[in-house]
Amino acid sequence: MRQLINALLRYRNTLLFSGLLIISIIFLNHRSFYHQSIFSKTSLAISSNFNQLVRNASNYISLSNTNEKLFIENANLKAFELIHFANESSEKNQIKTFNFQVFEARIIKNSYNLARNYLIIDKGHSDGIEVDMGVITSDGIIGIVNQVTTNFSSVISILHRDLKINAGFKKNGAYGSLSWQGNHPNKMKLNDVSTLSRVAIGDTIVTGGMSDFFPRGIPIGKVFDFKKPELEGYYDIDVELFSNLTEKEFVYILKNINKDQLNQLKNEPR
Amino acid sequence: MSRDNLIVVFQFFLLLFLQSFLLNNINFFGFINPNLYLLLIVIHRLDSNPTILILLGFILGLLIDLLNQGSGGHTIATLTIAFLRPYIVKFSFGVNYDLPMGMVKGSPLSQRLIYISTIILVHHLLLYSVIYFRIDNTLTIIKNTLFTSFFTFVLIYTSLGLFKEKND
Repeated sequence: MRQLINALLRYRNTLLFSGLLIISIIFLNHRSFYHQSIFSKTSLAISSNFNQLVRNASNYISLSNTNEKLFIENANLKAFELIHFANESSEKNQIKTFNFQVFEARIIKNSYNLARNYLIIDKGHSDGIEVDMGVITSDGIIGIVNQVTTNFSSVISILHRDLKINAGFKKNGAYGSLSWQGNHPNKMKLNDVSTLSRVAIGDTIVTGGMSDFFPRGIPIGKVFDFKKPELEGYYDIDVELFSNLTEKEFVYILKNINKDQLNQLKNEPR
Repeated sequence: MSRDNLIVVFQFFLLLFLQSFLLNNINFFGFINPNLYLLLIVIHRLDSNPTILILLGFILGLLIDLLNQGSGGHTIATLTIAFLRPYIVKFSFGVNYDLPMGMVKGSPLSQRLIYISTIILVHHLLLYSVIYFRIDNTLTIIKNTLFTSFFTFVLIYTSLGLFKEKND
């Protein structure tokens, strides 16, 4: 104990300096957005490189499992392709252009037990990823890109308390905003759906076409429970997600090709 | 001793207000603001308690940042230079220095010049590295460091001359 106190006294200047230096770096971080963004970018780069090492090892172990999942997804896609070919001759007047370009990426870090969850994926600026692109998985949506470095990006998960996503009913197009309450990684809430429209348990919820991030009609989940408050004009709907966000490995990133035009329209003065 | 402390407190506030209300508005050539407040670190008694100097440097830098809406560069640079000062003293005056008022009397001119310029250069390099904080801006950092250091050096050396006349 005495030695410890002696050592502390001996190095008190260095300790004092380190303590005050940490305080001033925190001060710097709080005061300047520029430094804040550089700090967060650096920490993203460091943590993503580290996580990728760990992920690479665990990926190798689960290769056969992944293969199996990919086979299933391929089969599904093949089925869609066949349906598409089958219908092509009869529905020539259908929309031919698809406004989204698709990139694929691998998740290297995924969190789902915090109040505000983020993912890190292994594609970045050099692969054409930009901020505000939508991210989907094979069976649902997973988030929106919020920060990009050269080789990695971080994605706000839909399991994030401050994120709201435009979503609606598949059957009649009634729409509302989907948000996560922070309880269970499989349950979300759909608010702002007018009580004029009919709701039944088991209805499919899809993305609405009103956000720039996702195309219309990606299945998200189904109605699990709903309440009709007496004095309000809006339903309170519980949604159960189709996809299990806790065991995802591959994602697809959607780039909205017409986003510039949309932004131009939105920013036009009225 | 208490008279010395009073003088330090007086110098502290004088330099602080001089720096933030006058010198930081000079903008010579558009970007040069000499940092005279380093004078406090330079003329502080060489035999004083280093712990007190570290605290003094931290508070001085913090107040200058707060008064000028700075991001925090002055705090880090001044704190670090206050911490490094004993080593700079050893480096420039030799290991066996015994000059409590070394900056004012009793030391060769060349040693004093090395002492002042080391303090100023290290401080400015840290200050601008923190402010720009990118490898791409290395040239800007070096340019700013050299120019501002030169003007700070001139100012500090002139002020030291004033001190000397008074004391002699």
